[in-house]
Amino acid sequence: MISCKSISKSYRKGANVVTPLENLNLEVPRGEFLALMGPSGSGKTTLLNLISGIDTPSSGTLVIDGQNIADFSRKQLTKWRSQKVGYIFQLYHLIPVLTAFENVELPLLITSLSRAERRAKVEEALDLVGLMDRSHHTPAELSGGQEQRVAIARALVADPPLLVADEPTGDLDRESANSILSLLQSLSGECGKTIVMVTHDARAAAAAHRTLHLEKGVLLSEDPNLARA
Amino acid sequence: MTALLSLALKQLLRHRLRTALTVLGVASGMFLFTSVETLQSSLGAATEETAADTTLVVYRENRFCPATSRLPEHYQDEIRRMPGVREVIPIQIIVNNCGASLDVITFRGVPEGMLRKFAPEIEIIAGDDAEWTRRDDGALLGEQFAKRRGLKPGDKFDAVGITVHVAGIIRSPFAQDNNVAYVKLPFLQQASRTGLGVVTQFNVRVHRSADLKPVAAAIDARFKSDQLPTNTKPEKAFFAETAGQLIELIGFTRWLGLGAVIAVVALVANAILLMVRSRVKENAVLRTLGYPARAIMFLVVSEGGLLGLAGGVFGAGLAWGFLRWQSFTMGSEGHTLAILPEISTAIFASVAALVLGVIASIHPALVAIRQPIVKSLRS
Repeated sequence: MISCKSISKSYRKGANVVTPLENLNLEVPRGEFLALMGPSGSGKTTLLNLISGIDTPSSGTLVIDGQNIADFSRKQLTKWRSQKVGYIFQLYHLIPVLTAFENVELPLLITSLSRAERRAKVEEALDLVGLMDRSHHTPAELSGGQEQRVAIARALVADPPLLVADEPTGDLDRESANSILSLLQSLSGECGKTIVMVTHDARAAAAAHRTLHLEKGVLLSEDPNLARA
Repeated sequence: MTALLSLALKQLLRHRLRTALTVLGVASGMFLFTSVETLQSSLGAATEETAADTTLVVYRENRFCPATSRLPEHYQDEIRRMPGVREVIPIQIIVNNCGASLDVITFRGVPEGMLRKFAPEIEIIAGDDAEWTRRDDGALLGEQFAKRRGLKPGDKFDAVGITVHVAGIIRSPFAQDNNVAYVKLPFLQQASRTGLGVVTQFNVRVHRSADLKPVAAAIDARFKSDQLPTNTKPEKAFFAETAGQLIELIGFTRWLGLGAVIAVVALVANAILLMVRSRVKENAVLRTLGYPARAIMFLVVSEGGLLGLAGGVFGAGLAWGFLRWQSFTMGSEGHTLAILPEISTAIFASVAALVLGVIASIHPALVAIRQPIVKSLRS
């Protein structure tokens, strides 16, 4: 599903050149739930951004679902994101004036689906995350865990094969975090989604099939013992 | 497109205070713009000659004001005999103010029985002809005049030392007729102490618009050597000439209109720019979800356009209703300029506001799509 070969990312920050990722190689098979761990500044979010197509590598190849997205233009990347990736943010990033239903519907507004088709897909996604009864509530009327579930439904609604999650449990209490992790596990196991999750939390990483550690932009180790919680 | 437009509308409706304040600002600008446009178009209608114009006005040469124009009533027989002339009506005019004024009261004295013959398009909308025929002091008031003064049939009305009985209210397709009080000529001559046999002017109807110039020249030539020479011009040309002060004043209002337009653009641009800045993350999220740049631009520009349109419809509609309700009239030297708003002006102002809203949103829309996604998500 994901094949990173000699991926590097560097950018200018004032007079200095910063290289958050250097010569990184990574293979993620379809349907795997992968956790990326590492200290702040280790490059894990940068890697996630590259995999999700919201940033581009400075060098190397990044093949996802058979396409080298490193060669994509901005326009191609935009279209690719709308079809292939669902992004789950740590702080949910729901639009506050829209209801849960309307937030989940957002990715579908740029498709050619009819209103009825959109409605059916949104209801299906909300049902999957267990929030059908909260569909007309705004984010302010939901708990953190419920907001994150809405964000997951939004990431899922266009049925992308790849989900990327940037510390999805980082802002939640333990109970809500466990519930979100169970949901991600079932999305990987039952729905066959490939999931790449960045986390600082070892208990969250334990929910993944595999955990990789990054430090200073370099992949350090692979600890299969943490997998399969 | 419809789905995105609906999303833009939701954003506006659910940020009520911001939207209401912006719409109010745009509405104020478009109220002013519509009022200025109405002034301009009313002035244009009153001064620009068209192929449908067939009325000449004969004044005494070198008169300052209708009150100072004195012509013998018997001129009408000679004018009537001239080729191209369809009808002549001697008119005595008394005004309360000869300068440029917003509150002009004009009495027009016409011979009994000639008013309907001279102006068959006049329609009596209240009261009746019989009352006007029966009473010496009967007056037929133009619709706008009566509305402005709150007069109805049966009322007494006193101005410029003349007291009249309101016999009826008339409506005419010509704005001038809707802003005057028609009374009988002998009554006005006596009441104003001008004296019988003396009139202010003759209004001459010619057969065709093309007859205006030759007939005017013929009238002035005929009385050139007379004791009281004449000055004959199309009615609108007189207005354009005598209303110089008004035209200058109304010309100045163009700047107010331009100011209103600039204010609307600045207001919408500012509101949309603030909105874009406050929604940097929201836009970055939409782009992460795969929204192309053109969709983000469409959303931002739609919000600007909708704000402009709402403010435009509100402001222009308010101006249209206010000007209709108030029936303002400006006058100069006995000529009146009715400030009558046209629905087309209100529609034009609303569309202009929509376009201004769209234009004002282009820069904020470009700002919204130029920020890198990753940087915006971190902001």
